[in-house]
Formats: sequence, structure tokens, C-alpha cells
Amino acid sequence: MTATKILRLVVPCTALVLFALAWWAATDALRLVSPFVLPSPGDVLGGLARVSRGYMGSTLLDHLIASMSVMLSGFALALVIGIPLGVAMAWFPLVDRLFGPLVAVLRPIPPPAWIPLAILWFGIGLSGRTFIVFVAALVPVLVNSYVGVREVPQNVIAAARTLGANQRVLLTEVVLPAAAPVIFTGMRISVGVAWATIVAAELVVAERGFGFLIMSGYRNFEAEIMAGGMLIIAAIGALMNVAFLLVERRVLRWNAGDSRDV
Amino acid sequence: MSNSIVYRDVSMTFGRGASAVQALSATNFGIGDQEFLMIVGPSGCGKSTLLHITAGLLRPSTGEVLLDGKPVTGPGPDKALVFQNFSLFPWKTVWDNIEFGLRINGVDRADRSERVAKYIRLTGLAGFERHYPRQLSGGMQQRVALARSFVMRPRVLLMDEPFAALDAQNRTLMQEELVRIWSEQRAAVLFITHAVEEAVYLADRVIVMSRRPGTIKEVIDVNAATGPGHWRDRPLNDVASEPRFQELRHRVWDSVRSEITTHEDA
Repeated sequence: MTATKILRLVVPCTALVLFALAWWAATDALRLVSPFVLPSPGDVLGGLARVSRGYMGSTLLDHLIASMSVMLSGFALALVIGIPLGVAMAWFPLVDRLFGPLVAVLRPIPPPAWIPLAILWFGIGLSGRTFIVFVAALVPVLVNSYVGVREVPQNVIAAARTLGANQRVLLTEVVLPAAAPVIFTGMRISVGVAWATIVAAELVVAERGFGFLIMSGYRNFEAEIMAGGMLIIAAIGALMNVAFLLVERRVLRWNAGDSRDV
Repeated sequence: MSNSIVYRDVSMTFGRGASAVQALSATNFGIGDQEFLMIVGPSGCGKSTLLHITAGLLRPSTGEVLLDGKPVTGPGPDKALVFQNFSLFPWKTVWDNIEFGLRINGVDRADRSERVAKYIRLTGLAGFERHYPRQLSGGMQQRVALARSFVMRPRVLLMDEPFAALDAQNRTLMQEELVRIWSEQRAAVLFITHAVEEAVYLADRVIVMSRRPGTIKEVIDVNAATGPGHWRDRPLNDVASEPRFQELRHRVWDSVRSEITTHEDA
């Protein structure tokens, strides 16, 4: 039991350390590749240190606030619209018939394809990027809300009805909690997609943010800035995923897979 | 014995036109006020359809079901339904599962607590109030399902093969528990099963249904065979060896089997 736990923790950590060592060996130690192509770990840390003091007029915190605020507002908008719409489509056939075709048509469009149109509609400011994030984050949360409600077992609904549940009680106290795990998964996927999309949007048009940071590194031939920006994006994305999993486990304790002693 | 449930020409056809399937042909019978009625029959004979119509979850194609003289128009807490499995609310604790029906029907808090506590005690769930369904065994989950139904004090208890998913020991245990709870709180029971022994052990009357479209093939009066002191008031183990019990079990089984074999020949 503890042995498998240790293995589960030690092996991935070791793999990461080995990977970092190989990176260091290829760049600093053996100089197998040019620092213009692949900067060494030390260079990247140095680049990050420079960025944190201020780079192209913005500090690391400025970039973080810029990317995060757009990401969170687009994501929040996606939740506010996506969850009620997905649930309503699954529960009311009329709503499904009204919005189903629209969703089916718009869904296959890759979020970055919206960027030019969003700039045309909303300009290069905050609202344009928020719209792009919203479009990207909407799909997973909408689809999962729909599927989650559709997959509520018929027995559970029938049991609630025989106990006297009316439509309102059925929806708020039975269908929504039953669908919550699937909706939560949709939210977690949405956060990841939203994060990826805001970076893509900032690559095209922005004056701060992590996408802008990477693009500036590219324009100034500073590979360590590009790599440093990517590292931060990766770290923040991973952190958000873990945070979401923790919240999920806390809120949906009843659904906890392997623990019998909640 | 007065009837609490009466079926008048109740039939059910699913689908329309060429693809229409008649699940249940016109059915007429009544269930006594405190009668324990078991229905056995081959798969697809319309047993579950009949149960869901009684619960108000399905509307019959023809005829009507009367509960205490009034037509059943929809589901409600006077007609409790216990499923085979997976019908508990997995996000609610044992306590909250049992309390749910009382709460949504506006029973006040003090009364709720008292009644939930009573049925937790009766079903042997004390100590598990704060557990979630998935932390319980199948047998324990069905105790919660029973408590959740009994706590509503229904006029009729509808049971759709409630013990079919349990192992043999748990099934016997649950049958005896059901009788014990039911003895304290009599209601009409309509109980569907595949298990002939279960039917003969628990029933006042056993109804054998024919294969599709389901009709009542035979009504077997178990009370007449048991005499005073029903089998179900003693442990199944003691009863199972009695000649009269075995004889009746054979009779019911033969009746069911002829339906299954004619079905296979067809």
C-alpha cells in the first residue's frame, strides 16, 4: 500500500529531474545545441528573473494579472451561460430543438479561428480577448452539462417522482446534483481550454500577458524569454488543474472513487 | 377484505402501427387493503409495466387503476416504489435519502427527525446515518430504499424485484426484515419477483402471469394453503422443508415454467 504510494510519487518526480538533467547536459555541460536554439536551464531562470524585474514595460505580475483577468472573465461568462443552457437543452426538448442545431454548427470551429472576427467586433482590448476565451470555454462546459443531465439514471428520477417531487424539486434537488460530477469535469476541461486560448489570443494581439511575453522574446531573438514564458504557462495550467481536482474532491465527496471512509 | 387497489381493463401497448407491441392485455383484479400480493411470470410478461402503471409513472393505453376508489393520475408518496437497485440518491447520506420525501412534502423538522430515526432503527441502519450509498453493501442499500419508502407511510408499497441483486443469504435476511417492518405498518404490497420461493413464502396470493402480451394466468391463494399462522411469520429455513410449502412452490414453478417453454417453442 505505502510502497505503491511511494512509487506513484517517486517515479514521476525522478522522471522530471532526469529530464531537467538531460536538458542541462545538452546545453550547459556538453554544449550539444546552440543557446539560440535551446537555452540552458540557467539562462531560462535568468530570463525569468529579468522578466520579473520588468520586460517590455511590464513585470511578471503585470503579465500574470493581464492573462488571468481575461481568462477568468471569459471562463466565468462561459459558466454563467453554458451550464444553464446545457441543462435546459437536456431537460426541455423545445430548448434542445432551438439551440441544438446552432451548437452543432458552431462547435467544430477551433477557438483560435475566432480571433480575427473577435478583433473586428470588439477591437484589440479586453473585451475581444474575453470573447475568444468565452467561445473556447463554452463548449466543454455546455456539452458536459447536457450529457450529465441526460445520463442521470431513470430509476433515480422515477424514485424522486414517486416520493412526490415536482418539476422544480426534480431539477434542483435531483437532476443537478446527480449531474454535478460530469458538469465539474466539463468545468475543469474548460479552464484548460480557456488558458490555452488566451495565450493564443495574446500571441496575435496584446500589449502584456504571457502570450505577449513569448512573442516579445521571439521578436527580440531571446529564446530564454520564450522558454521561460512557456514554463510559467505550463506551471499555472497544471496548478489550476490540481486546484480544480481538489475542489471537486471536496464538493463531490459522495462520489469519491476509492475511499470508503469519507 | 376490501380492495384498496382495483384494476379496470388496464392494458398497455407500446409504439404505434406496425411496430406496436402489446405488453399487457386488458387486466382486471383487485388488491386487498393489507394484502401481500406477489406477481411472478416470465421475462417480458408486463410485470414491471403493471407496476409502473400502478405507481402512476406510466399511463395505461386503456382502462384505469383506482386507489381507494380514486383514479391514479400520476406518481406520489401514497404509492411507494422500491427498485431492484441504483435508485438511491448517491449524493445524499443515508439520513438525507430517507428524509427527502418527507422534506419535499412539507413535513416539519421535528416530525421528520423522529420518523427518519424510527425507520433507521427499524431497518437496522443505526450507525450508518452519515454514510453515502456507495459506502454501503447492496443489502444495506436496499434497507435504505425500504426505509425511504416506508417512512412515507404509503397506502401501497410497490416492489420491483427489490432483492434480485442480492446474494442468497442477504435475500433471505431482507425478506424476513421486510415482513417484520410490514407487520408493524400494514399496507397493500404489490411485489414482483422471478423467485418462486420468495413468492410462495411472502404472499397472501400469488399471481402467475402469462408471456407477452401479459395476462393473469392463474391466481394461487397461499393463505388457504398455510392455514392460520402464515409461513412468512417464521424463518424461511424452517418453512422451506414443509411438504405443503414445497407442494405449492412446485405448483407455482410448473405454472411459470410452462410459460417459459411455450415461449421458447414459439
